[in-house]
Formats: sequence, structure tokens, C-alpha cells
Amino acid sequence: MSSSLQSLELLLAFLSRSYTTLETNFYKIPGSAVVARYVKSSHQNDPGRTLLEVILIIFAIRTLLQSRTRGDQSGKHFIQFDEKEIDELVEEWTPEPLAQPLTPQEQADLASVPVIVGPTGPKPKLASGKTVINLASYNFTGLAGNEEIKASAVDTLRKYGLGSCGPPGFYGTQDVHIQLEQDIADFLGTEAAILYSQAFATISSVIPAFGKRGDVIVADRGVNFAIQKGLQISRCTVRWYDHNDMESLEHVLETVEKERKKRRAPLTRRFIVTEGIFDNDGAMADLPKLVELKKKYKYRLILDESISFGSVGRTGRGLTELYNVPASEVDMLVGSCATGLASAGGFCAGSHIVVNHQRINGTSFVFSASMPAALTVAASEGINILRNTPSILSTLQENIRAVRAILDRAEYITIPSHPASATIHLQIRWPTLQVPMHASNSSSNKPSNPLSVKPRDPPQFDVELEERVLQDIVEEALSQGVMVTRAKRLRGQELVEVRPSIRLAVTAALSRKDCEKAASVVKAAFAKVVGRRR
Amino acid sequence: MSSSATSSSEDTVLDERQDFTDGLSYPRTPPTSSQVFTTVHSEFGHCGNEDYRYTSRHRAGTPYESYPEQDPPYYILLTTYISYLLVICLGHLRDFVGKRFRHVNYRHLLPWNGYAALNSDFDSFYTRRLKLRIDDCFSHPVTGVPGRTIMLLDRYSTDYNKTMIPTGTRTRALNISSYNYLGFAQGNGPCADAVETSIERYGVSSGGTRLEGGTLDLHQQAEALVARFMGTEDALISSMGFATNSNIIPGLVNKGCLVISDELNHASIRYGVRLSGANVRMFKHNDMQALERLLREVISQGQPKTHRPWKKILVIVEGLFSMEGTLANLPVIMELKKKYKFYLFVDEAHSVGAMGPHGRGVTDYFGVDPNSVDILMGTFTKSFGAAGGYIAGKKAVIDRLRIQGHSFTYAESMTPPVLTQVIASMASIMGITMPAEKPHSSPSLALLRSSSNEATLAMSEADIVPGTAPASALPSWMPLSPVMIDGSDGRHRLSRLAFNARYLNRGLRKLGFITYGNDDSPVVPLLLFHPGKMAVFSRMMRTRQIPIVVVVVAYPATPLVTSRVRFCLSASHTKEDIDIVLRACDEVGEVLDLKQAPGERWPVEEIISRAVEIVRAPKMP
Repeated sequence: MSSSLQSLELLLAFLSRSYTTLETNFYKIPGSAVVARYVKSSHQNDPGRTLLEVILIIFAIRTLLQSRTRGDQSGKHFIQFDEKEIDELVEEWTPEPLAQPLTPQEQADLASVPVIVGPTGPKPKLASGKTVINLASYNFTGLAGNEEIKASAVDTLRKYGLGSCGPPGFYGTQDVHIQLEQDIADFLGTEAAILYSQAFATISSVIPAFGKRGDVIVADRGVNFAIQKGLQISRCTVRWYDHNDMESLEHVLETVEKERKKRRAPLTRRFIVTEGIFDNDGAMADLPKLVELKKKYKYRLILDESISFGSVGRTGRGLTELYNVPASEVDMLVGSCATGLASAGGFCAGSHIVVNHQRINGTSFVFSASMPAALTVAASEGINILRNTPSILSTLQENIRAVRAILDRAEYITIPSHPASATIHLQIRWPTLQVPMHASNSSSNKPSNPLSVKPRDPPQFDVELEERVLQDIVEEALSQGVMVTRAKRLRGQELVEVRPSIRLAVTAALSRKDCEKAASVVKAAFAKVVGRRR
Repeated sequence: MSSSATSSSEDTVLDERQDFTDGLSYPRTPPTSSQVFTTVHSEFGHCGNEDYRYTSRHRAGTPYESYPEQDPPYYILLTTYISYLLVICLGHLRDFVGKRFRHVNYRHLLPWNGYAALNSDFDSFYTRRLKLRIDDCFSHPVTGVPGRTIMLLDRYSTDYNKTMIPTGTRTRALNISSYNYLGFAQGNGPCADAVETSIERYGVSSGGTRLEGGTLDLHQQAEALVARFMGTEDALISSMGFATNSNIIPGLVNKGCLVISDELNHASIRYGVRLSGANVRMFKHNDMQALERLLREVISQGQPKTHRPWKKILVIVEGLFSMEGTLANLPVIMELKKKYKFYLFVDEAHSVGAMGPHGRGVTDYFGVDPNSVDILMGTFTKSFGAAGGYIAGKKAVIDRLRIQGHSFTYAESMTPPVLTQVIASMASIMGITMPAEKPHSSPSLALLRSSSNEATLAMSEADIVPGTAPASALPSWMPLSPVMIDGSDGRHRLSRLAFNARYLNRGLRKLGFITYGNDDSPVVPLLLFHPGKMAVFSRMMRTRQIPIVVVVVAYPATPLVTSRVRFCLSASHTKEDIDIVLRACDEVGEVLDLKQAPGERWPVEEIISRAVEIVRAPKMP
């Protein structure tokens, strides 16, 4: 008994001794007094408070130790399987085929794509051996096949080789790229420009370079696919206005502003995104009104001039020249050297700040090799030619007028395109007896919902039927020696289904007579194919 | 004079005050009477010694392993963090003061006149405060052929790199930065001749998208040739390398599909996957166990929340990782593929042409049947000296991508000069079978009329894979040089690149540097760690007596602490060029305290004299 008491005493003595050593050592640590004071003051003779503190500390440590990466594993939807079960599940799982084989219709579509043998141009030779009038390829100003351009391209090839073999950041910026960027900026009248190596990849990089999550973009409902992809990547809040309808735009801008004021949200970046001449139907934006609205509501304007650059204006500078609006009023002006200058690549023109920002944040600029030097020089040469020969653009406009004069009056054709647009979209105008489409104009006066990309009263049409009929027209025209093409769209991937159309690309390289002849052939083909279906 | 082109290179030698002694424009040792060099030395170096050749091939039967990653001493890591901390603090301090006292300079970062700031100061902090300090190492303007040497347009800055002012002078530098693996960046030679002929014939425009009147016979010929080169049923081409991924992946997968992606995959892959709407999971770089664990998890769990089985699983890896120099572990991935039934997408942007005994990429390197990989993607920018990219695979898949990918419908098609460069360089690697008798009228026409039938027929004829290019598959007007026809040009390039890659990789390791990646990789990353050393390394290399241009990369392209310099080798480099690089690295590395790897070290002269031995040894001596 006494021995046990003795040992207990010893133990207690040991405990108290070790406690004092611990205490003295603890107070030796710098800053320990603060901790002690904190513990004392928080305890305040209330064990409940201390308990709470301890629980809080444990919770904090647990949170810190919790793995953040394997969220799925610890999530409430995770089901625990043992190895054998997983093996069975793996065994059972049969994936879908990587790609569905083409349907006969799709095969026919692919096979019907015309193949040009030799150079493209106003009158190319096709694989069938036939020489045709070309209203399908983009060659607005007839620069394709220009001898001066060829000569300077060959010169450049000999000096630079073909590929640039590097992204712009790593020795891929050649003097010719700097020169073309300068040429574009001078031509348009902006401070600077930046060159992308594919036109399609340009705007889908430009939009996310500026628009981030939380920013507001007000976009036209009829914007092209590249813009749609840019909007998707940017993760901005997108509001839509009716296609090319400035009243609707103003209405949407107002609702956005009201919404912001109501929520007392902080000021975010705001952009209006639209096209100069729309790729989908050839309609033309009202640039002066756009600029007025963007200034009034303090938005920045991203304008895609992929079609209009190199096809409208006195020397082909695009919409800004046509409407006599300084290009510096457009914050980001995107255009295509591939379409407008018959070379390759795309560009974004704007202020130094806008351009330099993209040199680090434009995804497809940073992560892609720069354009081959020969193509770059070809584009520079193209600008020179446009600048020095305004007659090209007047010829182009005459040709457009000649084509429109014939097609505007045609019985089975509706043209949504602007009279000055070099791309002319031909939609089917069904005879009144058959009604596969009916624009329901019942509840018309209410505006569409800006949150949804779908307009309030979307026009009704039968995509499959119309595409089939249009393809018949294309083939009929081809058999008469005129190459035209349907405006190809990825059905199901576009946000809004675009009404099927035949897209003509008028060129200055054809004579007026050829243009008239081609237009008459197309008109006759419409009459024959659509008329036959009566 | 035997080396004819050496003397006729005026038009490519762009500067007048030529220094003949640096060995950049003219070889140090003139060629002997028995040697004939047809290339311009500044574009494609003269190297007559047949010992300096090697074959890039994975040794069958051995598991693939890249060189083990070495960790630097702790003081290096610690000082790296400290230097970042220092620059970040300084930057914030400058922002704080500047915004209050020098308002005008910060206008684009602050809300102004009712407009929000165009780019937030937080987002652009890294660019403004860190990158700007060393901006003289990036986006250096150049001119001329980006071949073995490159002509720099000199510049300087008086306002701490905010604006760069060209001096008007030029400097020729040894180029180990451009993606020019097989040395096809040339302004002279058979490929350039072919391109010139094509520009005269076709011009530079292709006139629109592939499906809307922008398809030329050249497109079909190039696609058939790419398929033949890769050994697949069919192939499609796209006019931009980045866009090949970003426009085609959405045609492969969509909602309800899962993409499993290596964590270090290229931005274009991530961009494409984001566009597609598929779910994404990532696994640790090249960690096959992590991949298998992940596969078991995702297949057993199915889609999140609903637990429905995935429609399909697509694993995306790069053949050769451009910042790491590591190869995808294809043998193991193929095993996993059999077991877990996923589809495999290999991005060969850097490996095609650069790896494998026949230059067919990683499949060739590992001896894997290219048809067992579902999608082989690659670019023409790097090895072929052109631009754009391709997708090769089964005909059904490629046809589906033609009409469901974004490229063919919306993007402009590839231009004729680029197509010709692709065709010519590829044929040059393959070698060309000339028809036994005179070919009937127009062989190229016959091919394109029924390209699919003819291509498959021709495929079965050639039982040796990879086969040669039949002359009938090439444009009839294309000038063919004898070295292209017998394939000796291609073999020469491949074996020189393989030697150079192995030599530099192993040489740097023997010097004691920490490098990443595979011995056969033409991409050689050398670890610098400190952000400050990037700038100094780049400047010291550029201002040497024989200037060398290098690429330095840091966060965000790499993890924060592993800033590195990346060398890209080329077949156009001679052994002497690699010697120059090794000597330069040795000196600079000594100054910057970069030799941190454990293990035996050799002095640089010993490495140079025993180069052949170093390269040929199966395991590093």
C-alpha cells in the first residue's frame, strides 16, 4: 500500500517537474507570452469557450489536410467498389464507336464538293475536266493569281524559306510580320494590328483575351460560328439582340444597365460583338449607329470584318471606309487576310494597348507558329495593290450590281444580303401554294428575351428539304458551267439554325458579261429545280 | 570548287559585313575535293563525317523510362522562392505608388470615364512586373531563313523594355530555338524549288473553306500522301496547327464523353476539349499508374451524379512533350487501351518527323502499329518546315471529322505553297518509287478522281511499312531531285538529327546539368530554376563571340520553380555546332551555378572528343 502511494507520489512529482520544465521552456520561445495571454483571456474561467476554440482548431487542421484534388472521390456521389467489382464493370463497359460512319446523304455531300485542278481563280478547271465560272471561292478583288504577288512571294521564299518554324514569342516574329502588321494598321488607320495565322481562329481568341467571367457581352443573334466559339470560351455573360436590329440592341443595352444598377453590381468590362457583313446572310451592320450606341452606353465594340474587309469601301478598307467612320472608333477590328487579301491568316486592329495585350493573352497567337513569310508578304502586296488601284473595288461593285439586277427580280429567290455585299445569299422563296415555311407574326411587338439566343419568333423552315433542293440547284448550275456553293453550316452545332442558302462570292476578276451570264444560270437553276417541285 | 552552293549563297546571306571566321556562314574547315555539299551552310550545316549519325529507335524489350528527374539542392529551391517573392513584393509596391502618383501610366488598368479597365491589374501583374523585366529575351525580331543559323534584328530599350528600338544592325546567331527538326527550313534545295514552281503555277491563294470551293487537287494529293506517310487509311489537313486540335476535337467528343488528358498537354488540346463540352480529367504527367487508377475510377463510377456509363473515353497524350522532352509511354498505354477500351489520341506536333528510325513519330520509335492508335494528330510546322496540321486515322473517322469538325466547314483551307512544301518534304523523307515505264497521261489526275480506292490499293501493294511515295501520288509538275527519289536526303536528315539529339542530351548530363526527358528527344530542357537566371542565361548566350539564341521558358508554361531553357535540335546542326553549344553551356553554367546534378562529371573537352562513344552507348557511360 505504502509502496503504491510512494510510487504515486513519485509519479506526481515527476509530472509536476516535467510541467515546470515545459512551462519554462515554453516561455523561452519568443512570442509565447502572447499565446499564453490569448489562451488565458479566451478561457475566462469558462471551459465551454476553450472547448469551442479547440474544436475550431481541429476543424481548421482537418480542412487544411483534406485533399482538394480528388474532389470526386470524397464527393457524396462516390460509390465505393472493391477491385473485383471494378474489373467486372470495366469488362462490362462498351463504348460507342469513336465516329459514326457517314450516312449515304453525308457521303453524297462530301463527294459533291467540287475539286479545282490547278490554280483557283475566276475560271478554274474542275476535276471533271470542265472549266467553270467561279462564284464559290473567295476572291473578291481578284488578287488570287496576281503576277506581282506571285513574284514577291517567290522572292520571299528564297530569302526566308517557307515555314516560320516558331511561335511569335520564340524567334517566330520576322520582319515581314512586323511589316504586314504595320501595313494593316496604316491601311485601316488604327494605331496597331496583330497577325494571327488563321482567320477562323482569330476572333475566337480575341474575344476571350478581353472578356472574362463576369464581363458582359451583348451580341447579335446572327453572328458567325467563330464568334459563337469565342463567346463560349470567354465565359462572359452574354446578352443577345435581334439580328441586325439597332432598336433591339439599344433595348438590350438599356436592360443590362438597369439590371446592373438594380443589383448595384460593380463596373465590369462590356462589349458589343457583331459582324460588319454577316457571314450567315450577307446583311450589313449599321456602323455609325453601332458607334453611337457603344459610346452612349460605354461599351467597347468588337467588329468582325472577315467578309467586309477587302470587299467594300472605296479601296476595300471595309465598313469603316464605307460609312466614313474612323477605324479607331472600333475598339477591336477583326479581319481576314485569307478572304480579303487572297493570302492567309487573320488580324485584329486596334490601339497599342489592345494589340499588345493580345501578344500575351491571345491563345492562338501565343501558342501557334507565325504565318509563313511568303504568305505574309503576299498579303502586304495585296494591300499595296488595293491602295493604289481603287478601280478594282468599283469593278467589284459593278459586278455585284449586275448580279443583283438579275437575281433580285427572280421568282424563287429571296436575298437577305445588303446590296453592296460581295457575298450574296440566295434563299428559296417557295411558291405560295406549298408552305414549308411560315413566318408566324402573331405576337410580334414584344421584344425577344435577351438571355436566350433564340429570337421570339424564329422563322420556320425545313432545313433538310431546303438543303437538298439547294444542292440540286448547285449541281444544276454546275452542269451549266457555273460553280456556286451552298453556305455550309454545322447543323446542330450552331446556336441558331441558319436558313439554308446558296452563297455567291462575286469577284472583280470576272467581266460584267460573265457575271450576268452566271447570274442568269443560277436564276434558271432555281426556276428549274424549285419550279419542278410544284 | 566542289561545294557549289557555298559560293552561290549571296541571296541568303543577308548581311554585308560578314565575319568568315565564326563558322556560322561558312564552314571552318573547307570541304575536301571528294565532298559535295549542296546546301547553304548557314541554313543546313555541312557535315561529311558519317560517324556522326545515329538511328532514333526504342530498344525493343526494354520498358520505356525517361531520365529520372533530379531535384536540385534545397538552397536553390529556397532562393528561387525568395527571388519570386522579392519581385512580386517590389511589383506590388510599384503598383501601389504608381497608381497614386503616376496616374496616366495606369489608365488602362483602372476604370476610366465609365469604362471598366480593359485588363485588370491583377490579371496582368505577372506580365507587367515579372515578364517585362526580361522581355528582351522574348519575341526577338528576326529575318531570313530560321535554319541552322538565324539573323537577329538587333534592338535595345531605354525604358526598361517597354518599347524596343531597332538599331538597324543584324547579328547572325546559331539557332537552337526554332522548330526545325529535320532542317527543312531552307530557301534553297529541292523543297524550295518545288514550292517556287507551285507558286508560279497556283499563286498563293486557295480561295475559301474546304467545303465551299476551297478544295484544290493539291489538298487531296497532300492528304493521300500524309495517310501513306503515317501508314493509316486516311488523313485530313488543316491550315493551322493550333486549330487542328481546337477545331477537330469538338468533332470527336461531346457531352457525355470523357477526355482523359495528360496534365502537361498543350493549350490547343485544352482549348479544343473546352469547346467540345466533354468532361475532362487529368492525370500526372506520364504516370501510367495514375492513368490506370483514374481509368478504373471513371469507368466504375460513370458520369458524375447520374452514374450512367460514359459514351466514350478519349485519352489524349502528346507524343513528345515540348517543354519536357519526355515521350508518351506508348507501349504501356497500348496495353491499357486493350484492357480499358478507351480511344487514344496522340498529338505528334513535335514527334512526327523527329522521332523513329523512319521519322514516322512515336509509333515508329516504339515499333507500335500506327493503325492501333485511333487518332494521330501532328503539325507540319516543326519537322516539315511548313505550316498547319493533320489528323490521320481510319477512313470512317476521318470522313466524320471532315463533316463534323469545324475546320472544313468554316476555316480557310491550306494555301498551295504550304501544301507543296508538305508534299515535297514528306516525299523527300519517304523516298519516291518511280514508275517502271512511262506513266499514262496524267497520274495525279487518276489519283484524285478515286483517291480512296487508289490509296488503299497502293497501300496493300507496299507490304513494307512505312512505304515510299509513288511518283503518281505527287503532282506531275513537281521537280524531283535525285536525292529525294532515292530517299537518301531523308535518311541523312533523320540520322543527323538522331545523333545531335542524343549527343546534346547526354553531353549536358555529363557536364552536370539537370535536364529532363528522353535521350533521343530533339527537345532538350535544361533546368535553370531562378527566374533571374533565365534572362542572364539568354543574354550571355546571345552576346558570346559566336552568338547562340535560346528559348527560355518559365511559369505559366512550366511549374513555378522549374524555369528552364529549351534547346530544339535540328538535322541542320553539325557536330561542331553542338560542340559550340556544349562549350557555351559549360562556361555559362559555371558562372550561374547551374551544374547541380549528382553523379560523375566529365570535362567538356573529353565529352567533345568522345562524342561518338557517348552517343552509341546503349546506356549512358
